[in-house]
Amino acid sequence: MILVFCAVLLWLFGWWLNSRLASGPYADTRMVRLLAPLIFGLTVIGIWELLVRGLEVPLVILPAPSVIAVRFADSLPILWADFVQTIIKGALSGYVIGCIAAFLMAIAVDRWDFLRLGLLPVGNFVAALPIVGTAPILVMWFGFDWHSKAAVVVVMVFFPMLVNTVAGLREATSMQRDLMETYAATYWQSFLKLRLPAAMPFIFNGLKISTTLALIGAIVAEFFGSPTLGMGFRISTSVGQLSLDMVWAEIVVAALAGTAFYGLVAGIEKVVTFWHPSQRG
Amino acid sequence: MNKLLSGAVAAFGLAASAALAADEVTLQLKWVTQAQFAGYYVAKDKGFYEEEGLDVTILPGGPDIAPTQVIAGGGADVTVEWMPAALAAREKGLPLVNIAQPFKSSGMMLTCWKDAGISSPEDLKNRTLGVWFFGNEFPFMSWMSQLGISTDGKSENGVEVLKQGFNVDPLLQRQADCISTMTYNEYWQVIDAGVSPDELVTFKYEDQGVATLEDGLYVLEENLSDAAFVDKMERFVRASMKGWKYAEENPDEAAEIVLENDATGAQTEEHQKRMMGEIAKLTAGSNGALDPADFERTVNTLLAGGSDPVITKTPEGAWTHQITDAALN
Repeated sequence: MILVFCAVLLWLFGWWLNSRLASGPYADTRMVRLLAPLIFGLTVIGIWELLVRGLEVPLVILPAPSVIAVRFADSLPILWADFVQTIIKGALSGYVIGCIAAFLMAIAVDRWDFLRLGLLPVGNFVAALPIVGTAPILVMWFGFDWHSKAAVVVVMVFFPMLVNTVAGLREATSMQRDLMETYAATYWQSFLKLRLPAAMPFIFNGLKISTTLALIGAIVAEFFGSPTLGMGFRISTSVGQLSLDMVWAEIVVAALAGTAFYGLVAGIEKVVTFWHPSQRG
Repeated sequence: MNKLLSGAVAAFGLAASAALAADEVTLQLKWVTQAQFAGYYVAKDKGFYEEEGLDVTILPGGPDIAPTQVIAGGGADVTVEWMPAALAAREKGLPLVNIAQPFKSSGMMLTCWKDAGISSPEDLKNRTLGVWFFGNEFPFMSWMSQLGISTDGKSENGVEVLKQGFNVDPLLQRQADCISTMTYNEYWQVIDAGVSPDELVTFKYEDQGVATLEDGLYVLEENLSDAAFVDKMERFVRASMKGWKYAEENPDEAAEIVLENDATGAQTEEHQKRMMGEIAKLTAGSNGALDPADFERTVNTLLAGGSDPVITKTPEGAWTHQITDAALN
């Protein structure tokens, strides 16, 4: 019971500290802006630890953060091997292939109207296919290793990317296009100098959505057959073995990798679309 | 006055038996509704549970339901589980206790293509094998370590292990030379796919000496100190075993009952009747009481798990005859 009481105290202290910081004189400094979410996160973890220990929640329901941290530190080689298998080989290769293919397809769709009218509706249809249905089929086609996971990721990221890029390529106004025409610009000149830059915010939108889709796709696809390696494999087998601390360690890896991946793409976007209103200021 | 009193007693007795009739038991199955669990469905359908004053709810399992987790979360009173998974859970701090063991023998085996040149366990080296995980990999792992075969990948003295889904495609597609099958289920799916039994080689875990106990009934240890719960389980086990013996003797009827209870409608009559026939072979010879020798063998198999044993020490108090002694005598 003491631990539960401590959890309440910790919650009140974290609250007090953050509200002091937020209304204090340094509220707008960079340090406070980094500190506030950090304090929030640490408080949540602290409360979690104290409640799980205080209420004696069984490990199989929810392990304490300290248990997860110990497991994480103990299994670094396994976690790294799983990371390479699932994120680097499965998710990233699928992401690159899917996004490039969708980008090229979007240019074709933009150029020929019959593709836009015929293909995009089918695209939406395919995008709605559930992964639990497609993954086993793709495992059958491409084998158990990472290739089938990459294929699942390609299917998942292709259409969000396609739809966004197509929308982006129509972003330039007819006035702007007319201007390019009065300059006697060729299709490709007009494409590279006007329409592609104008499409960039949309393209990056698709790229950012696809980062999380790629991770989910690669991990979930491993539930349907995999070698004895990979994050999805580890999660599904560890649940069966009641090693919930291992499951959470993999979740931590997935969360870190997903955040870093998203952050990376968002960072590139910032550089590429510096001119866009959303990036100013 | 006397009459009034006895009337009151009778009324009280009625109320008490009505209260007993409302005794609810939730059973979590290890897998989807199929003849593997015929005994429980028969006991429910034939009113054996009702006779014991029980209202039993049977929860089907599935590929992403871990019975151990369901019972840990309070979702069931008693669960059907394989002993390796139950003992592993016990070592992880979930004190499961075996209260009855309707299955005497293991139905697990490895099914291989004969034309791949496999005739003995020695031939498994340097091949790709499909294995179920999710707690079902333990018997396989101990078998491999007893054979001295590593599972880290294809080599002179190792095998490549695939995490096989719960279907037989990897074998049919020849993505694996061997896959895990149950005598009563997946083996027949291979046969139904048009493969003749002559084309296959099977290694039963029973014959290889690495069989572990399957489908036992498990409850949480702390509940066994509750007299009301123990009483409920005695009646439950008694009625369930009656259901099992009925199913053994009337396999076709049992299969029909299972089909009626299959809410998904995914099972076929032919498959279920065949499955019931095979299941009857596994339950034969068990009256429901766990044979300590079988327990010892299972534990020894699991302890021999090589570099990554399933359990690290001999479990204490992982089974009890408390329930079956009272239920069956």
